[in-house]
Amino acid sequence: MQKDIYIRAACQISAQPPLSEEWLDAPVRYSEPYVRAMDPDYKRYLEPNVARRLGKLLKRAVLTARRVMEASGVACPDAIITGTGLGCIENTGVFLNALVREGEELLKPTSFMQSTHNTISSLIAIDARCHGYNSTYAHKGISFECALLDGYLQLKAGEASTVLVGAHDEMTPEYFVLLKRAGYLGGAPGGFGGETAVSMMLGRQRAGSLCRLRGVEIAYRPSADEAGRILNGLLQASRCSLDAVDAVMIGTNGHPRNDAVYAEMCPVLFPGKPLLRYKHLFGESYTAPGLGVYAAATVLHRQRIPGHLFVHAPGEAPRNIHNILFYNQFEGKNHSFILLSSCGE
Amino acid sequence: MQGGIFVTGAGILSAIGKNKQETLGALRERRTGIGPLRYLNTSHTEFPVGEVQWSNEEMCRILQIPDTAVTTRTSLMGLIAAREALDQAALPDKRAPRVALISGTTVGGMDKSEQYYLDFLENDTRNAYIAAHDCGACTEMIADYFGIFSTVETLSTACSSAANAILLGAMLLREGRVDAAVVGGCECITKFHLNGFNTLMILDREPCKPFDACRAGLNLGEGAAYLVLETAASARRRGVTPLCRLSGAANTSDAFHQTASSPDGEGAYQSMAGALAAAGLAPEEIDYINAHGTGTVNNDLSEGIAIQRVFGPRIPPVSSTKAFTGHTTSAAGGVEAVISILALRENFIPANLRFSNPIQELAFTPATGDEAVGTLRHVLSNSFGFGGNNTSLLFSKIE
Amino acid sequence: MDELILNLKREIIEVLNLEEVKPEEIADDAPLFGEGLGLDSIDALELIVLMEKNYGIKLTDPAQGRELFKSIRVLADYIRENRKK
Repeated sequence: MQKDIYIRAACQISAQPPLSEEWLDAPVRYSEPYVRAMDPDYKRYLEPNVARRLGKLLKRAVLTARRVMEASGVACPDAIITGTGLGCIENTGVFLNALVREGEELLKPTSFMQSTHNTISSLIAIDARCHGYNSTYAHKGISFECALLDGYLQLKAGEASTVLVGAHDEMTPEYFVLLKRAGYLGGAPGGFGGETAVSMMLGRQRAGSLCRLRGVEIAYRPSADEAGRILNGLLQASRCSLDAVDAVMIGTNGHPRNDAVYAEMCPVLFPGKPLLRYKHLFGESYTAPGLGVYAAATVLHRQRIPGHLFVHAPGEAPRNIHNILFYNQFEGKNHSFILLSSCGE
Repeated sequence: MQGGIFVTGAGILSAIGKNKQETLGALRERRTGIGPLRYLNTSHTEFPVGEVQWSNEEMCRILQIPDTAVTTRTSLMGLIAAREALDQAALPDKRAPRVALISGTTVGGMDKSEQYYLDFLENDTRNAYIAAHDCGACTEMIADYFGIFSTVETLSTACSSAANAILLGAMLLREGRVDAAVVGGCECITKFHLNGFNTLMILDREPCKPFDACRAGLNLGEGAAYLVLETAASARRRGVTPLCRLSGAANTSDAFHQTASSPDGEGAYQSMAGALAAAGLAPEEIDYINAHGTGTVNNDLSEGIAIQRVFGPRIPPVSSTKAFTGHTTSAAGGVEAVISILALRENFIPANLRFSNPIQELAFTPATGDEAVGTLRHVLSNSFGFGGNNTSLLFSKIE
Repeated sequence: MDELILNLKREIIEVLNLEEVKPEEIADDAPLFGEGLGLDSIDALELIVLMEKNYGIKLTDPAQGRELFKSIRVLADYIRENRKK
């Protein structure tokens, strides 16, 4: 049996032009602190009876899921797994505001029903009529990696041969204010609070895939030594060495507290490696790492790293891109490592 | 497939008890925890609930957490149940250095958010609670209290969240990712979801009557429960006595509707059948089913039909213990896993309280608790969430 | 068109996000659920909120709702009889 695991297809809706890879060559640049996703005209894609009750986040999730299912020729994945930091926060906000401002009468069922985090995965299952494994992870800045890890393990254990993994978070104006107050957003110029909607299909078929998914590791509050051991374990298990890693994609976003952790960890974990970024394109949100993995997979597929992705201007861009390591950390507590390779590796 | 996963610790906190011993006593003596509202500040006092009989301040005192610390009711309950589970499993232990905490919740810190939301929007006085709002924050509060976990994850699949945490823990162990996993969930009652369930018109104004023809909805409950899972080899190496085996589990999707279960109970059928298949057990080997059994018209009929489809004419004793605890939502999969394990170990069938009228469409009636049972060997526990997130867990005696 | 019926259609279109539907396309006697507009149980719950909010009619049993929401005309007749707003 083919044991390797691939990212077969991926599709995004974000601050960059939706359902496309235009960001590679013509990235849209932002200087404002808060940017909502560029929504496509959903009427072109979703039937009115499907769309009428759905908030933006759910429309994005259903549409991106349908697109990757179509692109990978999978009508019903064996598993549907979503990472979402805050779930359907727009509906949550509607219900919560009505509750605290107007009291406990005349509240609306639809906004409650669609406030739970698992609405996303279950709606995709209802839309595609999939009775398989269905799960949702909601763990701050590593929600997506928890979902990806589950999908990876389902494939590795042979319990699934196709897994749809998604990363979905919306940012309402209200929640942007809240996350700024909490110190998570808006620390410095350069970064912005954004929205994430990305779906990807994991599977075993190499032909036509974007890249190989070699391994996923997550860790809670590791020391620098422990983080190093986890990284080495990932590389060893993948029969890859740090020397063979062409670049490391990280989550710097211009926020001093966030970037300081990378400044401390990167020279220790991967000294001298070219560093790539993605949040200048997509902004910050709990599941932004989903867009980062999508960006790395796209780069491996296209075999080209556009200049704007480099954290520091490169001496010479690597010619053949074999391996990209993805490293994310959230508030210095949650860390994740994901190894991606070109399909030829 | 899950053959080698042992349960070596369990902790539980709900309306019927603050630990396993009290819970067992209440189940044996048929003492319900459903009663009038006492702790939640809501205008909907017409709904009976299953509240944990401790205030937040009392829980802080028990845990030696200063009153001034940023806590949520959900995380405090989680801490108490996790502590009981860790103590029983004799963790931390240097021989099992990599321990995961996988917790299920949906409301997270909503109890504080609904109290302080206008402050969140207007000023900086409650910022610490903004960061405490989400599900992950709740799990990390538990993780940081103990400071022993190398992997920390949060599941949120509504009312099957804790059951799916158990499923993931087994997966991480089988794949050799961790040495032990503390798995389960926690959830307090909030105004948010009490009102939410009220808008769906599925709350009973009387104590709930699962599997009764006259059932009129559910009562909300709250609580927390965790299991410690480890491989048989690890339990042996550490010299801990396992409680039972997690012999099978399955997660499926009903793929029918955002809030309603399908009329043929397809998702429930598949999750029960899947758990049996994973355990390599035949339906007739199951000695007791702890049903999801919320008491809503829709769930109990759909689940009952699914049970009939799996078990045919030989249906084992079935009961819903939500008539004791109320529906503890995201914690339910954990609370009912611990109740199932208590039944398995003590060889008794928890009664399905307040049943009197059989559901016409179903060929079976729920357990009275008086069934003459010998030794229970295999117990099935169902947890179904909104949107059709269905999970079944199978616990078996170690023979 | 009867003013109450017209208002009711507008309110239903708004509260259920039936963007593509115009009031005149909803026949007074057509079933709202299943066949007709294709509404479901959640829509029924939204209509129960609408009844209370706009007409002061409080329904506590979803089954009662199913009777009233047979068609716009049945609903309008019930509102005329029982409205408190």
